[in-house]
Amino acid sequence: MKILIIEDEKELSKGIISYLKEESYVCEIASDFKMAIEKTESFDYDCILLDISLPGGNGLNILKELKANKKSDGVIIISAKDSIDDRIEGLNYGADDYLAKPFHLSELSARIAAVIRRRRFDGNSKMVINEISIDTFAKIINVNNCRLELTKKEYDLLLYLVTNKNRVISKNAIAAHISGDDADMFDSFDFIYAHIKNIKKKLAASGCSDYIKSVYGIGYRFDV
Amino acid sequence: MKLLNKTLRLYIVYAALILLIAVPVFYFAIKNIVIEDVDESMMAQKSALIKKLEMQTNGAQLYPEINSTDFELKLLASYSKFDTFFITYKYDSISKEILPYRTMKTNVLIQTKPYSMTLRSSLIDTEDLIERICLITGLLSLLIIVGLFFITRYISRKVWHPFYSTLNLLHTFRVDKDETLQLPNTEISEFSDLNQTITKLATTNMAVFKSQKEFTENASHEMQTPLAVFQSKVELLMQTNPLTSEQAALITEAEQAVQRMNKLNKTLLLLAKIDNNQFSETETIVLEALIRQLLAQYAGAIAEKNIAVDSAEMDNSSITVNRYLLEVLIGNLLTNSIRYNINSGSIKISITNKRLFVSNTGLQTPLDTSKLFHRFQKQNTSNSSSGLGLALVKQICDLYNATVNYDFKEVNHIFSVDFNSSVT
Repeated sequence: MKILIIEDEKELSKGIISYLKEESYVCEIASDFKMAIEKTESFDYDCILLDISLPGGNGLNILKELKANKKSDGVIIISAKDSIDDRIEGLNYGADDYLAKPFHLSELSARIAAVIRRRRFDGNSKMVINEISIDTFAKIINVNNCRLELTKKEYDLLLYLVTNKNRVISKNAIAAHISGDDADMFDSFDFIYAHIKNIKKKLAASGCSDYIKSVYGIGYRFDV
Repeated sequence: MKLLNKTLRLYIVYAALILLIAVPVFYFAIKNIVIEDVDESMMAQKSALIKKLEMQTNGAQLYPEINSTDFELKLLASYSKFDTFFITYKYDSISKEILPYRTMKTNVLIQTKPYSMTLRSSLIDTEDLIERICLITGLLSLLIIVGLFFITRYISRKVWHPFYSTLNLLHTFRVDKDETLQLPNTEISEFSDLNQTITKLATTNMAVFKSQKEFTENASHEMQTPLAVFQSKVELLMQTNPLTSEQAALITEAEQAVQRMNKLNKTLLLLAKIDNNQFSETETIVLEALIRQLLAQYAGAIAEKNIAVDSAEMDNSSITVNRYLLEVLIGNLLTNSIRYNINSGSIKISITNKRLFVSNTGLQTPLDTSKLFHRFQKQNTSNSSSGLGLALVKQICDLYNATVNYDFKEVNHIFSVDFNSSVT
């Protein structure tokens, strides 16, 4: 899997690469408009992370170029602008997703995984981790070939943990993932604890190993 | 006091004073002149009479050309020089009035005999004359003053007209609105100068205001990238191995801080965007529907604190505003009512005739209303409070001409928003 990070803030691209090293991705960086155009013209990527405001030009023009050249690279816009208009504009130009800065790396990782899954042409929408198999198309999770009955939020949360496996996901990131913008309205993370407890209970009941670890007070990690 | 009245008042006071002083002075002056005149003519009459009497033999009986009531001649024992003038009042049987007379009493020698001679001259005609002169003069002066008053007022009005129209335009001028100040042209150079100066001042102010607004927005935007770097580094720090509980605690605190900063920045950006009128799209929204939707979103938090929500009294009021801003406005009021509520407390939401009331239990004392809706005013020590929530509510209300009020009744904190005067 090849990923291109078009972002002028080097520290941020370094951070993204560092977080994604758990996945078997090959990451490249383009830190200005010219370099980005060169790279996107010469190579194909599975996913491109695209910053809008770049030295040397507007990131949206790269998106236009891609679409004009009938390239099918998945694109996630990462922008400091987060108004609805900016989102609509980006998505209208053919971006697959839009993530406003600042974002959680775990959220970015989950979005990249989703874009790559959607663009997989072999029709295989299954993820298998030991005894767990996740059909992301049908949104079904099987443990030892038995269907796991989960609520929508529980499914989202488990998928989120799995796509960020072996990494700590903070409670803030989980709250933002589940509740969106409302997450920061309340201070309590008790509902996360409740969801995790339910998932663990259901997994244990179907004979699954205990993969979900609580990491001190920070958050949770899906250990494989 | 109006400028016009101030000038006119001075004029009126001066004119009244002059009138009050001038009329009596004028009256006495004329009276003196007239009396002097009468006295002189009486002296002349006396000389003429003496001459005539000298030639008569029986002086006491003969004074043909003068009315007997106006002339008296009395024989005296001895002669001494004596002359006096005074005013006497006598009852006149014809006009049935007491009339003034100028009387001259003098001692004279006629045919070597001493007499006391009294001459009277009626002042009734002169008195009338003086009164009329005074009356006419007074009336004329009054007429002049009144005329001057109106002319001055008219001229002042005309002269100051550009000033007042400038003043009226300044009243409606708002530095935060995009309308530029258009002052009328005037021929009077002072006012033209004034208008130019004001226009220049307004333009500069608007430019400064605009750049300040843009600064807030740009600053918030620029902050997003370092915040993103900060957040990503904190997340990477979580992944380090080994991770001790001490480090974990520090990382958690750092993450909370970056979340707060993030939220603060987002709110500032939102405030700046409202300032910059970036939410011009509006739609008609039924308040009840939106509130039910938001309550469903907060159901978890409400259940957690075991809060009883009473939302029975809601009519079908609808308003035409930007949906996102209305969600922020009502969302802030509702989350406040949940966040600052007590466990097993209550919330009452009602809508009557475009008036929204959110009342909740909480602190036992009322909030400090003086700065409640100001930016960065925290009413509690809660770390997670940005101090911007109610400022945002106020700003959105201001944008739509809605009024927001706080009240404390029977240990309930009541926030009310009245959308009735909002332009829809």
